[in-house]
Amino acid sequence: MKSKKRSQLIWLYALLLFITVITVGPFFITLLISLKSANEGIYTVLFPTDPTLANFIDSFAKADFGLYFLNTVIVTGIAIPLNLIFCSLAAYPLARMDFRGRSVVLALIISTMMVPFQLYMAPLFQLAGELGLRNSHIGLVVMQVSTAFGIYLMRQAFLRIPKELEESAYLDGASKFKVWYLVAIPLVKPTLVTLAIFTFMGTWGDYLWPLLNSTESSMYTLSIGLAQLSQNFDGANLKLISAASILTTIPTLLIFIWLQKYFISGATDGAVKG
Amino acid sequence: MARQPIVTEPIARSKPVPKRKKWRASFFTPWLFLLPSIVILGTFLAYPIIEAFHWSVLDYKIIADTGEYVGLANFREIFTDSTFWKAFVNTLLFLLIVLPLNVLLPMILAVLVNQKIRGVSTFRVLYYLPVVTPMVVGALMWKMLYSQNSMISQVLVWLGIFDSPTNLLVQSSTALVAVSMITVWKGLGYYMIIYLAGLQSIPKDVYESASIDGASVFQMFTRITFPMLMPSVTLVSVMTIIAGMKVFEEIALTTGGGPAGATTTLVMYIFDNFMSLDVSTASAAGLVLLIMAIGASLLQMKLTSKRENDLRA
Repeated sequence: MKSKKRSQLIWLYALLLFITVITVGPFFITLLISLKSANEGIYTVLFPTDPTLANFIDSFAKADFGLYFLNTVIVTGIAIPLNLIFCSLAAYPLARMDFRGRSVVLALIISTMMVPFQLYMAPLFQLAGELGLRNSHIGLVVMQVSTAFGIYLMRQAFLRIPKELEESAYLDGASKFKVWYLVAIPLVKPTLVTLAIFTFMGTWGDYLWPLLNSTESSMYTLSIGLAQLSQNFDGANLKLISAASILTTIPTLLIFIWLQKYFISGATDGAVKG
Repeated sequence: MARQPIVTEPIARSKPVPKRKKWRASFFTPWLFLLPSIVILGTFLAYPIIEAFHWSVLDYKIIADTGEYVGLANFREIFTDSTFWKAFVNTLLFLLIVLPLNVLLPMILAVLVNQKIRGVSTFRVLYYLPVVTPMVVGALMWKMLYSQNSMISQVLVWLGIFDSPTNLLVQSSTALVAVSMITVWKGLGYYMIIYLAGLQSIPKDVYESASIDGASVFQMFTRITFPMLMPSVTLVSVMTIIAGMKVFEEIALTTGGGPAGATTTLVMYIFDNFMSLDVSTASAAGLVLLIMAIGASLLQMKLTSKRENDLRA
Protein backbone atom coordinates (compact mmCIF):
# COMPACT_ATOMS: atom_id res chain seq x y z
CA MET A 1 0.00 0.00 0.00
CA LYS A 2 2.70 2.42 1.02
CA SER A 3 4.90 1.72 -2.02
CA LYS A 4 1.89 2.25 -4.27
CA LYS A 5 1.34 5.63 -2.70
CA ARG A 6 4.97 6.45 -3.18
CA SER A 7 4.96 5.62 -6.87
CA GLN A 8 1.79 7.69 -7.27
CA LEU A 9 3.57 10.61 -5.69
CA ILE A 10 6.53 10.24 -8.05
CA TRP A 11 4.19 10.26 -11.05
CA LEU A 12 2.45 13.32 -9.69
CA TYR A 13 5.72 15.24 -9.35
CA ALA A 14 6.86 14.07 -12.78
CA LEU A 15 3.64 15.46 -14.27
CA LEU A 16 4.00 18.73 -12.34
CA LEU A 17 7.57 19.10 -13.59
CA PHE A 18 6.57 18.32 -17.19
CA ILE A 19 3.97 21.12 -17.09
CA THR A 20 6.60 23.43 -15.59
CA VAL A 21 8.80 22.74 -18.62
CA ILE A 22 5.94 23.92 -20.85
CA THR A 23 5.05 27.05 -18.87
CA VAL A 24 8.56 28.17 -17.86
CA GLY A 25 10.64 26.52 -20.61
CA PRO A 26 10.20 29.37 -23.14
CA PHE A 27 11.56 31.89 -20.60
CA PHE A 28 14.49 29.64 -19.81
CA ILE A 29 15.42 29.13 -23.47
CA THR A 30 15.04 32.86 -24.18
CA LEU A 31 17.29 33.65 -21.21
CA LEU A 32 19.92 31.20 -22.49
CA ILE A 33 19.83 32.74 -25.99
CA SER A 34 20.17 36.22 -24.50
CA LEU A 35 23.38 35.15 -22.72
CA LYS A 36 25.09 33.77 -25.83
CA SER A 37 28.12 35.55 -27.20
CA ALA A 38 28.39 37.01 -30.68
CA ASN A 39 29.87 34.06 -32.56
CA GLU A 40 27.80 31.37 -30.94
CA GLY A 41 24.99 29.61 -32.85
CA ILE A 42 21.50 30.28 -31.55
CA TYR A 43 20.05 26.81 -31.83
CA THR A 44 23.16 24.63 -32.15
CA VAL A 45 23.67 24.16 -28.41
CA LEU A 46 21.22 24.87 -25.62
CA PHE A 47 23.62 26.32 -23.05
CA PRO A 48 25.90 29.25 -23.85
CA THR A 49 29.53 28.10 -23.74
CA ASP A 50 30.78 31.61 -23.09
CA PRO A 51 27.96 33.45 -21.25
CA THR A 52 27.97 37.23 -21.66
CA LEU A 53 25.81 40.24 -20.82
CA ALA A 54 26.81 41.94 -24.07
CA ASN A 55 23.31 41.58 -25.55
CA PHE A 56 21.75 43.36 -22.59
CA ILE A 57 24.28 46.17 -22.87
CA ASP A 58 23.65 46.34 -26.63
CA SER A 59 19.91 46.62 -26.12
CA PHE A 60 20.56 49.84 -24.19
CA ALA A 61 23.47 51.11 -26.25
CA LYS A 62 22.36 50.23 -29.77
CA ALA A 63 18.63 49.69 -29.58
CA ASP A 64 17.55 52.56 -27.29
CA PHE A 65 15.86 50.29 -24.79
CA GLY A 66 16.77 52.65 -21.96
CA LEU A 67 14.48 55.27 -23.51
CA TYR A 68 11.69 52.76 -24.17
CA PHE A 69 11.99 51.54 -20.60
CA LEU A 70 11.70 55.11 -19.31
CA ASN A 71 8.66 55.79 -21.54
CA THR A 72 6.95 52.65 -20.27
CA VAL A 73 7.67 53.57 -16.65
CA ILE A 74 6.29 57.11 -17.19
CA VAL A 75 3.16 55.85 -18.91
CA THR A 76 2.50 53.25 -16.22
CA GLY A 77 3.27 55.81 -13.53
CA ILE A 78 0.61 58.16 -14.93
CA ALA A 79 -2.00 55.48 -15.54
CA ILE A 80 -2.05 53.70 -12.18
CA PRO A 81 -2.73 56.62 -9.78
CA LEU A 82 -5.19 58.33 -12.14
CA ASN A 83 -7.14 55.15 -12.79
CA LEU A 84 -7.34 54.36 -9.08
CA ILE A 85 -8.56 57.87 -8.18
CA PHE A 86 -11.04 58.36 -11.03
CA CYS A 87 -12.50 54.85 -10.84
CA SER A 88 -12.97 54.86 -7.08
CA LEU A 89 -14.49 58.36 -7.29
CA ALA A 90 -16.95 57.35 -10.00
CA ALA A 91 -17.78 54.03 -8.39
CA TYR A 92 -18.73 55.52 -5.04
CA PRO A 93 -22.00 57.28 -5.96
CA LEU A 94 -22.88 54.34 -8.20
CA ALA A 95 -22.66 52.10 -5.16
CA ARG A 96 -23.84 54.33 -2.35
CA MET A 97 -25.87 57.36 -3.46
CA ASP A 98 -29.42 57.45 -4.67
CA PHE A 99 -29.78 59.83 -7.58
CA ARG A 100 -31.72 60.16 -10.77
CA GLY A 101 -29.90 58.60 -13.73
CA ARG A 102 -27.78 56.24 -11.66
CA SER A 103 -28.94 53.06 -13.33
CA VAL A 104 -28.55 54.62 -16.79
CA VAL A 105 -24.97 55.72 -16.09
CA LEU A 106 -24.13 52.32 -14.64
CA ALA A 107 -25.65 50.44 -17.58
CA LEU A 108 -23.81 52.65 -20.09
CA ILE A 109 -20.46 52.15 -18.36
CA ILE A 110 -20.86 48.40 -18.04
CA SER A 111 -22.04 47.97 -21.63
CA THR A 112 -18.88 49.65 -22.97
CA MET A 113 -16.87 46.79 -21.50
CA MET A 114 -17.93 44.47 -24.29
CA VAL A 115 -17.07 46.86 -27.14
CA PRO A 116 -13.90 45.61 -28.85
CA PHE A 117 -11.11 48.18 -29.06
CA GLN A 118 -10.63 47.37 -32.75
CA LEU A 119 -14.05 48.89 -33.49
CA TYR A 120 -13.13 52.40 -32.40
CA MET A 121 -9.35 52.49 -32.72
CA ALA A 122 -9.46 54.42 -36.01
CA PRO A 123 -11.70 57.26 -34.71
CA LEU A 124 -9.66 57.33 -31.51
CA PHE A 125 -6.47 57.57 -33.56
CA GLN A 126 -7.85 60.55 -35.41
CA LEU A 127 -9.16 62.19 -32.24
CA ALA A 128 -5.76 61.82 -30.55
CA GLY A 129 -4.21 63.57 -33.55
CA GLU A 130 -6.70 66.44 -33.41
CA LEU A 131 -6.19 66.91 -29.68
CA GLY A 132 -2.39 66.97 -30.11
CA LEU A 133 -1.95 63.73 -28.19
CA ARG A 134 -0.04 61.90 -30.91
CA ASN A 135 3.46 60.92 -29.74
CA SER A 136 2.87 62.01 -26.15
CA HIS A 137 2.84 60.14 -22.89
CA ILE A 138 -0.67 61.36 -22.09
CA GLY A 139 -1.81 60.16 -25.51
CA LEU A 140 -0.57 56.67 -24.70
CA VAL A 141 -2.64 56.36 -21.53
CA VAL A 142 -6.00 57.84 -22.59
CA MET A 143 -7.48 54.33 -22.53
CA GLN A 144 -6.12 53.55 -19.06
CA VAL A 145 -6.75 56.66 -16.92
CA SER A 146 -10.37 55.77 -16.25
CA THR A 147 -11.72 52.39 -17.22
CA ALA A 148 -15.20 50.93 -17.23
CA PHE A 149 -13.78 47.74 -15.76
CA GLY A 150 -12.13 49.68 -12.94
CA ILE A 151 -15.38 51.47 -12.09
CA TYR A 152 -17.20 48.14 -12.07
CA LEU A 153 -14.55 46.53 -9.87
CA MET A 154 -14.53 49.40 -7.35
CA ARG A 155 -18.31 49.53 -7.23
CA GLN A 156 -18.42 45.84 -6.31
CA ALA A 157 -15.88 46.54 -3.56
CA PHE A 158 -17.91 49.46 -2.13
CA LEU A 159 -21.06 47.34 -2.18
CA ARG A 160 -19.33 44.67 -0.09
CA ILE A 161 -18.36 46.95 2.82
CA PRO A 162 -20.91 47.52 5.61
CA LYS A 163 -22.83 50.80 5.44
CA GLU A 164 -22.84 51.46 9.19
CA LEU A 165 -19.35 52.98 9.34
CA GLU A 166 -20.15 55.55 6.67
CA GLU A 167 -23.50 56.36 8.25
CA SER A 168 -21.98 57.06 11.63
CA ALA A 169 -19.45 59.35 9.93
CA TYR A 170 -22.34 61.30 8.37
CA LEU A 171 -23.92 61.64 11.78
CA ASP A 172 -20.66 63.11 13.00
CA GLY A 173 -21.09 65.76 10.32
CA ALA A 174 -18.58 64.65 7.67
CA SER A 175 -19.18 65.53 4.00
CA LYS A 176 -19.67 62.89 1.30
CA PHE A 177 -16.19 63.50 -0.02
CA LYS A 178 -14.67 63.15 3.43
CA VAL A 179 -16.57 59.93 4.07
CA TRP A 180 -15.37 58.57 0.73
CA TYR A 181 -11.80 59.50 1.43
CA LEU A 182 -11.53 58.77 5.15
CA VAL A 183 -13.94 55.88 5.65
CA ALA A 184 -14.72 54.07 2.40
CA ILE A 185 -11.34 54.15 0.63
CA PRO A 186 -9.37 52.54 3.48
CA LEU A 187 -11.90 49.70 3.53
CA VAL A 188 -11.42 48.85 -0.16
CA LYS A 189 -7.61 48.90 -0.17
CA PRO A 190 -7.24 45.27 -1.32
CA THR A 191 -9.39 45.99 -4.38
CA LEU A 192 -7.34 49.11 -5.08
CA VAL A 193 -4.24 46.91 -5.17
CA THR A 194 -6.04 44.53 -7.54
CA LEU A 195 -7.01 47.43 -9.80
CA ALA A 196 -3.46 48.78 -9.67
CA ILE A 197 -2.24 45.38 -10.86
CA PHE A 198 -4.79 45.26 -13.69
CA THR A 199 -3.80 48.77 -14.74
CA PHE A 200 -0.12 47.92 -14.58
CA MET A 201 -0.58 44.79 -16.69
CA GLY A 202 -2.79 46.62 -19.16
CA THR A 203 -0.37 49.52 -19.59
CA TRP A 204 3.02 47.86 -19.34
CA GLY A 205 2.34 45.30 -22.03
CA ASP A 206 -0.12 47.30 -24.12
CA TYR A 207 0.68 46.89 -27.80
CA LEU A 208 -1.98 47.91 -30.28
CA TRP A 209 -2.72 51.46 -29.11
CA PRO A 210 0.95 52.49 -28.60
CA LEU A 211 1.67 50.95 -32.01
CA LEU A 212 -0.84 53.35 -33.58
CA ASN A 213 -0.23 56.44 -31.47
CA SER A 214 3.58 56.37 -31.21
CA THR A 215 4.76 57.07 -34.73
CA GLU A 216 8.12 58.45 -33.60
CA SER A 217 10.65 56.11 -32.07
CA SER A 218 11.30 58.57 -29.24
CA MET A 219 7.81 57.71 -27.92
CA TYR A 220 8.08 53.92 -28.21
CA THR A 221 7.24 51.80 -25.21
CA LEU A 222 9.02 48.50 -24.53
CA SER A 223 6.39 46.50 -26.42
CA ILE A 224 6.72 48.65 -29.52
CA GLY A 225 10.51 48.76 -29.33
CA LEU A 226 10.54 44.98 -29.08
CA ALA A 227 8.13 44.58 -31.97
CA GLN A 228 10.18 46.92 -34.15
CA LEU A 229 13.35 45.04 -33.22
CA SER A 230 11.71 41.77 -34.23
CA GLN A 231 11.10 43.04 -37.77
CA ASN A 232 14.56 41.63 -38.42
CA PHE A 233 14.06 38.15 -37.00
CA ASP A 234 17.30 36.34 -37.67
CA GLY A 235 20.94 35.84 -36.85
CA ALA A 236 22.55 38.00 -34.23
CA ASN A 237 19.37 40.04 -33.80
CA LEU A 238 17.66 37.13 -32.05
CA LYS A 239 20.08 37.45 -29.14
CA LEU A 240 19.22 41.13 -28.87
CA ILE A 241 15.48 40.35 -29.07
CA SER A 242 15.91 37.76 -26.32
CA ALA A 243 17.75 40.19 -24.08
CA ALA A 244 15.11 42.88 -24.66
CA SER A 245 12.32 40.35 -23.99
CA ILE A 246 13.88 39.43 -20.66
CA LEU A 247 14.27 43.13 -19.77
CA THR A 248 10.61 43.79 -20.61
CA THR A 249 9.44 40.88 -18.50
CA ILE A 250 11.60 41.39 -15.37
CA PRO A 251 9.51 44.26 -13.87
CA THR A 252 6.26 42.34 -14.31
CA LEU A 253 7.84 39.26 -12.71
CA LEU A 254 9.13 41.27 -9.75
CA ILE A 255 5.71 42.83 -9.17
CA PHE A 256 4.08 39.43 -9.52
CA ILE A 257 6.40 37.91 -6.92
CA TRP A 258 5.84 40.89 -4.61
CA LEU A 259 2.01 40.98 -4.86
CA GLN A 260 1.30 37.32 -5.62
CA LYS A 261 -1.79 36.88 -3.49
CA TYR A 262 -3.44 39.94 -5.03
CA PHE A 263 -2.79 38.56 -8.51
CA ILE A 264 -4.51 35.33 -7.55
CA SER A 265 -7.51 36.93 -5.84
CA GLY A 266 -7.69 39.51 -8.65
CA ALA A 267 -7.94 36.75 -11.25
CA THR A 268 -11.22 35.56 -9.77
CA ASP A 269 -12.48 39.13 -9.17
CA GLY A 270 -11.88 39.98 -12.80
CA ALA A 271 -13.51 36.77 -13.96
CA VAL A 272 -16.98 37.62 -12.76
CA LYS A 273 -17.07 40.68 -14.99
CA GLY A 274 -17.12 38.90 -18.36
CA MET B 1 -12.18 69.69 -4.29
CA ALA B 2 -13.57 72.58 -2.31
CA ARG B 3 -14.56 72.10 1.28
CA GLN B 4 -18.29 71.63 1.44
CA PRO B 5 -20.54 73.21 4.05
CA ILE B 6 -21.39 70.48 6.47
CA VAL B 7 -25.05 71.37 6.88
CA THR B 8 -25.92 70.59 3.26
CA GLU B 9 -25.25 66.89 3.75
CA PRO B 10 -28.09 64.46 4.31
CA ILE B 11 -27.45 64.01 7.94
CA ALA B 12 -30.99 65.36 7.89
CA ARG B 13 -32.14 62.24 9.65
CA SER B 14 -30.96 63.76 12.90
CA LYS B 15 -31.12 67.50 12.18
CA PRO B 16 -33.76 69.09 9.97
CA VAL B 17 -32.12 70.99 7.09
CA PRO B 18 -33.84 73.49 4.77
CA LYS B 19 -35.33 71.42 1.96
CA ARG B 20 -34.02 73.41 -1.01
CA LYS B 21 -30.43 73.36 0.14
CA LYS B 22 -30.50 69.66 0.80
CA TRP B 23 -31.90 68.95 -2.66
CA ARG B 24 -29.17 70.93 -4.38
CA ALA B 25 -26.37 69.25 -2.49
CA SER B 26 -27.65 65.76 -3.10
CA PHE B 27 -28.25 66.60 -6.75
CA PHE B 28 -24.72 67.74 -7.50
CA THR B 29 -22.60 65.55 -5.25
CA PRO B 30 -22.87 62.26 -7.19
CA TRP B 31 -22.16 64.03 -10.48
CA LEU B 32 -19.07 65.68 -9.02
CA PHE B 33 -17.75 62.23 -8.11
CA LEU B 34 -18.57 60.99 -11.60
CA LEU B 35 -17.29 64.02 -13.49
CA PRO B 36 -13.66 63.02 -14.25
CA SER B 37 -14.63 59.56 -15.46
CA ILE B 38 -17.55 60.84 -17.51
CA VAL B 39 -15.30 63.39 -19.24
CA ILE B 40 -12.56 60.83 -19.95
CA LEU B 41 -14.81 57.94 -20.97
CA GLY B 42 -17.05 60.28 -22.93
CA THR B 43 -14.14 61.71 -24.92
CA PHE B 44 -11.95 58.67 -25.48
CA LEU B 45 -14.50 55.87 -25.45
CA ALA B 46 -18.07 56.99 -26.19
CA TYR B 47 -17.19 59.54 -28.88
CA PRO B 48 -14.91 57.19 -30.88
CA ILE B 49 -17.52 54.41 -30.65
CA ILE B 50 -20.22 56.73 -32.03
CA GLU B 51 -17.79 57.88 -34.74
CA ALA B 52 -17.13 54.25 -35.70
CA PHE B 53 -20.88 53.71 -36.24
CA HIS B 54 -20.94 56.90 -38.29
CA TRP B 55 -17.90 56.02 -40.39
CA SER B 56 -19.35 52.63 -41.25
CA VAL B 57 -22.01 54.32 -43.43
CA LEU B 58 -19.58 56.84 -44.95
CA ASP B 59 -16.85 56.59 -47.50
CA TYR B 60 -14.54 58.15 -44.99
CA LYS B 61 -11.10 59.50 -45.88
CA ILE B 62 -9.12 59.79 -42.71
CA ILE B 63 -6.46 62.17 -44.06
CA ALA B 64 -8.91 64.56 -45.74
CA ASP B 65 -11.21 64.17 -42.71
CA THR B 66 -14.32 63.98 -44.89
CA GLY B 67 -16.60 61.30 -46.22
CA GLU B 68 -19.72 60.95 -48.31
CA TYR B 69 -22.75 59.03 -47.14
CA VAL B 70 -22.79 55.68 -48.90
CA GLY B 71 -25.47 53.81 -46.99
CA LEU B 72 -24.73 50.15 -46.50
CA ALA B 73 -22.11 49.98 -49.25
CA ASN B 74 -19.31 49.16 -46.80
CA PHE B 75 -21.25 46.24 -45.44
CA ARG B 76 -22.02 45.06 -48.97
CA GLU B 77 -18.31 45.33 -49.68
CA ILE B 78 -17.17 43.21 -46.75
CA PHE B 79 -19.92 40.63 -47.20
CA THR B 80 -18.83 40.06 -50.80
CA ASP B 81 -15.13 40.08 -49.88
CA SER B 82 -13.71 36.56 -49.73
CA THR B 83 -10.91 37.82 -47.41
CA PHE B 84 -13.56 38.90 -44.90
CA TRP B 85 -15.23 35.50 -44.95
CA LYS B 86 -11.89 33.76 -44.65
CA ALA B 87 -11.16 35.95 -41.61
CA PHE B 88 -14.60 35.15 -40.19
CA VAL B 89 -14.05 31.40 -40.62
CA ASN B 90 -10.51 31.67 -39.21
CA THR B 91 -11.88 33.40 -36.11
CA LEU B 92 -14.37 30.57 -35.59
CA LEU B 93 -11.68 27.93 -36.24
CA PHE B 94 -9.38 29.64 -33.78
CA LEU B 95 -12.12 29.51 -31.12
CA LEU B 96 -12.81 25.88 -32.00
CA ILE B 97 -9.16 24.96 -31.39
CA VAL B 98 -8.68 27.04 -28.24
CA LEU B 99 -12.01 26.35 -26.50
CA PRO B 100 -11.64 22.63 -25.68
CA LEU B 101 -7.99 23.07 -24.69
CA ASN B 102 -8.80 26.04 -22.44
CA VAL B 103 -11.60 24.09 -20.78
CA LEU B 104 -9.64 20.88 -20.23
CA LEU B 105 -5.96 21.63 -19.66
CA PRO B 106 -6.35 24.26 -16.91
CA MET B 107 -8.83 21.93 -15.19
CA ILE B 108 -6.18 19.21 -15.05
CA LEU B 109 -3.65 21.75 -13.78
CA ALA B 110 -6.06 22.92 -11.08
CA VAL B 111 -6.68 19.37 -9.86
CA LEU B 112 -2.92 18.77 -9.75
CA VAL B 113 -2.04 21.93 -7.82
CA ASN B 114 -4.97 21.35 -5.45
CA GLN B 115 -3.19 18.25 -4.05
CA LYS B 116 -1.91 18.57 -0.53
CA ILE B 117 1.73 17.81 -1.29
CA ARG B 118 4.98 19.59 -0.61
CA GLY B 119 6.00 22.39 -2.98
CA VAL B 120 2.66 22.62 -4.70
CA SER B 121 2.33 26.38 -4.17
CA THR B 122 5.62 26.86 -6.06
CA PHE B 123 4.12 25.02 -9.03
CA ARG B 124 1.07 27.28 -8.88
CA VAL B 125 3.34 30.31 -9.21
CA LEU B 126 5.34 28.72 -12.04
CA TYR B 127 2.14 27.94 -13.95
CA TYR B 128 0.98 31.53 -13.56
CA LEU B 129 4.14 33.08 -15.05
CA PRO B 130 2.89 33.14 -18.67
CA VAL B 131 -0.18 35.09 -17.54
CA VAL B 132 1.91 37.99 -16.24
CA THR B 133 4.22 38.00 -19.26
CA PRO B 134 3.56 40.83 -21.73
CA MET B 135 1.90 39.27 -24.78
CA VAL B 136 4.50 40.75 -27.14
CA VAL B 137 7.21 38.88 -25.25
CA GLY B 138 5.19 35.66 -25.22
CA ALA B 139 4.58 35.87 -28.96
CA LEU B 140 8.25 36.51 -29.78
CA MET B 141 9.49 33.72 -27.49
CA TRP B 142 7.20 31.25 -29.22
CA LYS B 143 8.19 32.55 -32.64
CA MET B 144 11.77 31.63 -31.75
CA LEU B 145 10.71 28.21 -30.47
CA TYR B 146 8.80 27.51 -33.67
CA SER B 147 11.68 28.42 -35.95
CA GLN B 148 12.91 25.65 -38.18
CA ASN B 149 16.12 24.91 -36.29
CA SER B 150 14.61 25.23 -32.84
CA MET B 151 13.05 22.89 -30.29
CA ILE B 152 9.55 22.36 -31.53
CA SER B 153 10.43 21.33 -35.06
CA GLN B 154 13.11 18.98 -33.72
CA VAL B 155 10.65 17.38 -31.30
CA LEU B 156 8.14 16.93 -34.13
CA VAL B 157 10.78 15.20 -36.29
CA TRP B 158 11.81 13.04 -33.32
CA LEU B 159 8.17 12.05 -32.77
CA GLY B 160 7.94 11.14 -36.46
CA ILE B 161 5.22 13.69 -37.23
CA PHE B 162 7.39 15.47 -39.82
CA ASP B 163 10.17 14.01 -41.98
CA SER B 164 12.27 17.15 -42.01
CA PRO B 165 12.47 20.19 -39.69
CA THR B 166 9.42 22.38 -40.30
CA ASN B 167 8.38 25.78 -39.00
CA LEU B 168 4.72 25.35 -38.11
CA LEU B 169 4.11 29.09 -38.43
CA VAL B 170 4.98 29.24 -42.13
CA GLN B 171 2.87 26.24 -43.24
CA SER B 172 -0.63 27.36 -44.10
CA SER B 173 -2.05 24.04 -42.86
CA THR B 174 -0.53 24.36 -39.37
CA ALA B 175 -0.12 28.13 -38.79
CA LEU B 176 -3.50 28.66 -37.13
CA VAL B 177 -2.96 25.74 -34.75
CA ALA B 178 0.53 27.04 -34.00
CA VAL B 179 -0.65 30.54 -33.03
CA SER B 180 -3.55 29.19 -30.98
CA MET B 181 -1.04 27.20 -28.90
CA ILE B 182 0.49 30.53 -27.85
CA THR B 183 -2.93 31.73 -26.67
CA VAL B 184 -3.53 28.48 -24.77
CA TRP B 185 -0.08 28.67 -23.16
CA LYS B 186 -0.70 32.26 -22.03
CA GLY B 187 -4.09 31.44 -20.49
CA LEU B 188 -3.28 28.14 -18.72
CA GLY B 189 -2.47 29.68 -15.35
CA TYR B 190 -5.33 32.15 -15.42
CA TYR B 191 -8.04 29.59 -16.05
CA MET B 192 -6.32 27.26 -13.58
CA ILE B 193 -7.00 29.83 -10.85
CA ILE B 194 -10.67 30.06 -11.89
CA TYR B 195 -10.96 26.27 -11.63
CA LEU B 196 -9.05 26.25 -8.35
CA ALA B 197 -11.66 28.59 -6.85
CA GLY B 198 -14.34 26.20 -8.11
CA LEU B 199 -12.51 23.16 -6.69
CA GLN B 200 -12.10 24.74 -3.29
CA SER B 201 -15.83 25.38 -3.05
CA ILE B 202 -16.56 21.63 -3.29
CA PRO B 203 -17.23 20.35 0.25
CA LYS B 204 -14.58 17.90 1.50
CA ASP B 205 -17.00 15.44 3.08
CA VAL B 206 -18.36 14.51 -0.36
CA TYR B 207 -14.97 12.98 -1.19
CA GLU B 208 -14.68 11.39 2.24
CA SER B 209 -17.96 9.54 1.97
CA ALA B 210 -17.13 8.55 -1.61
CA SER B 211 -13.81 7.05 -0.55
CA ILE B 212 -15.51 5.18 2.29
CA ASP B 213 -17.84 3.72 -0.32
CA GLY B 214 -14.73 2.56 -2.19
CA ALA B 215 -14.71 4.98 -5.14
CA SER B 216 -11.45 5.19 -7.11
CA VAL B 217 -9.63 8.45 -7.79
CA PHE B 218 -10.82 8.37 -11.38
CA GLN B 219 -14.42 7.76 -10.34
CA MET B 220 -14.24 10.62 -7.88
CA PHE B 221 -13.08 12.91 -10.66
CA THR B 222 -15.77 11.92 -13.18
CA ARG B 223 -18.63 11.60 -10.68
CA ILE B 224 -17.90 14.42 -8.24
CA THR B 225 -15.23 16.87 -9.36
CA PHE B 226 -16.26 17.31 -12.97
CA PRO B 227 -20.02 17.82 -12.38
CA MET B 228 -19.35 20.16 -9.47
CA LEU B 229 -17.02 22.21 -11.68
CA MET B 230 -19.65 22.88 -14.33
CA PRO B 231 -20.17 26.55 -13.30
CA SER B 232 -16.41 27.12 -13.74
CA VAL B 233 -16.53 25.35 -17.11
CA THR B 234 -19.23 27.79 -18.24
CA LEU B 235 -17.23 30.75 -17.01
CA VAL B 236 -13.99 29.60 -18.67
CA SER B 237 -15.80 28.88 -21.95
CA VAL B 238 -17.44 32.28 -22.19
CA MET B 239 -14.26 34.10 -21.17
CA THR B 240 -12.34 32.14 -23.81
CA ILE B 241 -14.85 33.08 -26.49
CA ILE B 242 -14.85 36.77 -25.55
CA ALA B 243 -11.04 36.97 -25.33
CA GLY B 244 -10.48 34.72 -28.35
CA MET B 245 -12.46 36.96 -30.69
CA LYS B 246 -10.07 39.81 -29.91
CA VAL B 247 -6.81 37.88 -30.27
CA PHE B 248 -4.21 40.10 -31.91
CA GLU B 249 -0.58 40.13 -30.69
CA GLU B 250 -0.06 36.37 -31.02
CA ILE B 251 -0.91 36.68 -34.70
CA ALA B 252 0.37 40.14 -35.60
CA LEU B 253 3.85 39.41 -34.23
CA THR B 254 4.28 35.84 -35.44
CA THR B 255 2.61 35.38 -38.81
CA GLY B 256 1.11 38.83 -39.46
CA GLY B 257 -1.98 37.02 -40.75
CA GLY B 258 -0.12 34.83 -43.22
CA PRO B 259 0.85 32.58 -44.83
CA ALA B 260 -1.66 33.41 -47.55
CA GLY B 261 -4.26 34.62 -45.05
CA ALA B 262 -4.22 31.35 -43.09
CA THR B 263 -4.13 33.21 -39.77
CA THR B 264 -6.05 36.34 -40.76
CA THR B 265 -8.76 36.67 -38.12
CA LEU B 266 -11.45 39.36 -38.00
CA VAL B 267 -9.25 41.56 -35.84
CA MET B 268 -6.36 41.18 -38.29
CA TYR B 269 -8.76 42.02 -41.13
CA ILE B 270 -9.83 45.20 -39.33
CA PHE B 271 -6.21 46.06 -38.58
CA ASP B 272 -5.10 45.52 -42.19
CA ASN B 273 -7.92 47.72 -43.49
CA PHE B 274 -7.03 50.43 -41.01
CA MET B 275 -3.37 50.26 -42.02
CA SER B 276 -4.34 50.74 -45.67
CA LEU B 277 -6.47 53.72 -44.46
CA ASP B 278 -9.70 52.01 -45.46
CA VAL B 279 -11.27 53.06 -42.17
CA SER B 280 -14.89 52.81 -43.28
CA THR B 281 -14.42 49.14 -44.21
CA ALA B 282 -12.60 48.65 -40.92
CA SER B 283 -15.54 50.24 -39.04
CA ALA B 284 -18.07 48.02 -40.81
CA ALA B 285 -16.04 44.90 -39.97
CA GLY B 286 -15.65 46.26 -36.43
CA LEU B 287 -19.43 46.36 -36.09
CA VAL B 288 -19.61 42.69 -37.10
CA LEU B 289 -17.10 41.97 -34.35
CA LEU B 290 -19.20 44.03 -31.91
CA ILE B 291 -22.31 42.01 -32.75
CA MET B 292 -20.37 38.81 -32.07
CA ALA B 293 -19.12 40.23 -28.76
CA ILE B 294 -22.66 41.21 -27.74
CA GLY B 295 -23.83 37.71 -28.65
CA ALA B 296 -21.15 36.18 -26.43
CA SER B 297 -22.03 38.52 -23.56
CA LEU B 298 -25.74 37.69 -23.84
CA LEU B 299 -24.81 34.01 -23.80
CA GLN B 300 -22.82 34.61 -20.65
CA MET B 301 -25.67 36.48 -18.95
CA LYS B 302 -28.06 33.68 -19.83
CA LEU B 303 -25.71 30.97 -18.59
CA THR B 304 -24.73 32.73 -15.38
CA SER B 305 -28.33 33.61 -14.45
CA LYS B 306 -29.24 29.99 -15.11
CA ARG B 307 -26.41 29.01 -12.82
CA GLU B 308 -27.73 31.26 -10.08
CA ASN B 309 -31.18 29.76 -10.47
CA ASP B 310 -29.66 26.28 -10.23
CA LEU B 311 -27.91 27.25 -7.05
CA ARG B 312 -31.10 28.64 -5.57
CA ALA B 313 -33.12 25.57 -6.48
